[in-house]
Amino acid sequence: MHEAFFFGPGDRQLFGSYHPPVHGNGQVLTVLCPPLFLDHTRTQLILRRVATCLAEKGQHVLRFDYRGTGDSFADLEDVVVSDWIADIELAVQEGRAASGSRKVRLLGVRAGALVAARFASASADVDRLVLWDPVRDGAAYLEELRGVQTTLLERHPRLRRPERSEAIRECAGYRISERLLGDFGGLSARAYSGVPRDKVRIVSTSSDKRLPIEAVSHDVVQVACQWGTDVEDLIMPQPELLDRLISGLTAP
Amino acid sequence: MTEEPLQFGEGGRLFGILTLPIAPPHTQHSLPVFVFLSAGLLHRVGPARLHVRLARALAQMGFSSLRVDLAGVGDSLQRPGLTNQQSVAADYAEIVTVLESRLGRVSMVLGGLCAGADNAIRLTATDRRVVGMLLLDPVCFSNEGLNTRALLARHVDPRRYIAWVRRRLNAAAIPLRERWKRVDGLTLRDVPTVEQLRAAFEVIRERDGRVLSVFTQHAFHGYYDRFGQLERAVAVENYARFCTELFWPDVEHTYMLDVHRRRLIEEVTRWAAGFLRPQLDAVGNERTEHDVRSWPA
Repeated sequence: MHEAFFFGPGDRQLFGSYHPPVHGNGQVLTVLCPPLFLDHTRTQLILRRVATCLAEKGQHVLRFDYRGTGDSFADLEDVVVSDWIADIELAVQEGRAASGSRKVRLLGVRAGALVAARFASASADVDRLVLWDPVRDGAAYLEELRGVQTTLLERHPRLRRPERSEAIRECAGYRISERLLGDFGGLSARAYSGVPRDKVRIVSTSSDKRLPIEAVSHDVVQVACQWGTDVEDLIMPQPELLDRLISGLTAP
Repeated sequence: MTEEPLQFGEGGRLFGILTLPIAPPHTQHSLPVFVFLSAGLLHRVGPARLHVRLARALAQMGFSSLRVDLAGVGDSLQRPGLTNQQSVAADYAEIVTVLESRLGRVSMVLGGLCAGADNAIRLTATDRRVVGMLLLDPVCFSNEGLNTRALLARHVDPRRYIAWVRRRLNAAAIPLRERWKRVDGLTLRDVPTVEQLRAAFEVIRERDGRVLSVFTQHAFHGYYDRFGQLERAVAVENYARFCTELFWPDVEHTYMLDVHRRRLIEEVTRWAAGFLRPQLDAVGNERTEHDVRSWPA
C-alpha cells in the first residue's frame, strides 16, 4: 500500500508516493531519484517495484517526480538542473517528515544519478547513494539525447516545414530551455567524486566499463536496458536486476 | 486548477489523478468530465506526459478530468482471475462511482491511445453517460478499398522492391526467433468488434455528443490508409455532424516529437470547445469562436 500526495510550495508542487514499511518501524528512508525524459517513462514500473520490495524489507520509501516531469507541476521548458537538485532536497525533507527517519538513502537512475550525486555531495543527510547506470557526465548525456533526436528526425522525413524547424531544437523528443542545456553541459563527473566513496555503490547493466567514479562498490547485471536509444519499451522488473538494486539499498 | 490523487475502488486498488478547473460553478457540474484511460503498460501520465498536458490544457477551458491507471498498470493493483475486458469493466464501474461521489451526476468523455481507445469504445457502447470519445489510433476495419490500395502499392512502388531486397539481405542477420516476433499493430490488441464500434458511435449520436479520432503512422502501416475509412466502417447516420476524423500519417503512434504532441493538444482543445458552446448558450453569453477556445482565460 502507498500514500500519494502533492507536496512543496504552491508554485512548484511535486507528486510523491510514500510507501511505509510493511513490517516494523523502519529506521531507513530511501528516496528514489528517477531518470529523465524517455528513461523516466521506461522505469516507472520497475521503480514502483523497487519501492514495494524495499517497503517489504522494512524501509520507508518515497518516489517522486521532478518539476516538469510525470505528474508534478511546471513545464519541462521552464525548469533548470538546480530546480531538480532542490526537488531532491524537498523530497528528502518530505520523506523524513512522513517517516520520522533520520537515515537517508538515495537511488539515482541514469541522469537522476548525476543530479542525486550533486545533491548528496552538498548534504550531510545522505547515508548511502546507489547509482543505477549513472550517466558519465552532463555533456555525454546531452550527446546521447541529441543522438536520439537525430534518429527521431530520420524517422520523420515528411515533417511539415514549421514543425521541422522546431523539432530540430528538441532533445530526444522534448522541448527544453537553452538554460537547461547549458546546465547539463556544465555537470561534470566531479559531481560523483564529491560524495565520500564508502557511501557510493554502483549497479551497472551496461557493457560500458568506463564508470564515472572509480574505486567504489560495483555490481554488474547482464540486462540490456537500451539506454540512450529511441526504444520506448518499459524496463521489466527482472529478478536479477531487482535483487542487485535492493541489496545495494538494504545491505548494512 | 487543482489536482488531487485519488485512491479508490474496492480496497483502494485503483489510482488516478483528478484535475479540477477554477471555473464558475454553473459550468463545473454541467460540462462532461474527461477520463483518460491508461494504454497497455504505460501508466496514467501517458507517453511523454501527454495525458498530463491534455488534462491541464482542458482544465484551463473549464473541464475536469481523471487520468487513471487501469488495474495492473502504474499504481493500480491487478484483478487476479479476470479477463482484460472483465477487469476494465470492473475498473470503469469504480471510476464512475468515484467521479459521482466527487462531482455529482456526471457525463463523460472517454479517451485513450491504442488499447486505451479500444477500451473507451467498448465502455461507451454500453453506457449512455458517455457523451464523447477521444480516440487516438483506435481500431478500424478494412474495406475493399484498403485491400485494393494495399495490393496496388505493393506491386507498383519500386521502393518496396528495393526494401524487399534489403530485408532478404538483413534477414540472415536476425535470429529466427526474433523474426517470429514481428506482428502487425492490431494483433496484440484486444480490439472491439465492429458491432461494438458502431454501438459506441450510436450512443454518442443519440446523446448529441462528439467524437474525435486521430489515426497516425501506426494505423497507416497496419489497418488504416485513407481519410474517411472510419466513417465507412462505422456507417452511422450523420457521422460528419458529430465526428471529427483526422489522418496524420506523418506522426508516430506515441507522439514521440514534442511538436506533434503540441499539434494534438491544440486539436483536442479546439474540438473540446464544442462542448462549451451549449453551456455558453445556456447562460446567454454571446462569444466568438476565439473566445470559446480561450475561455475562461
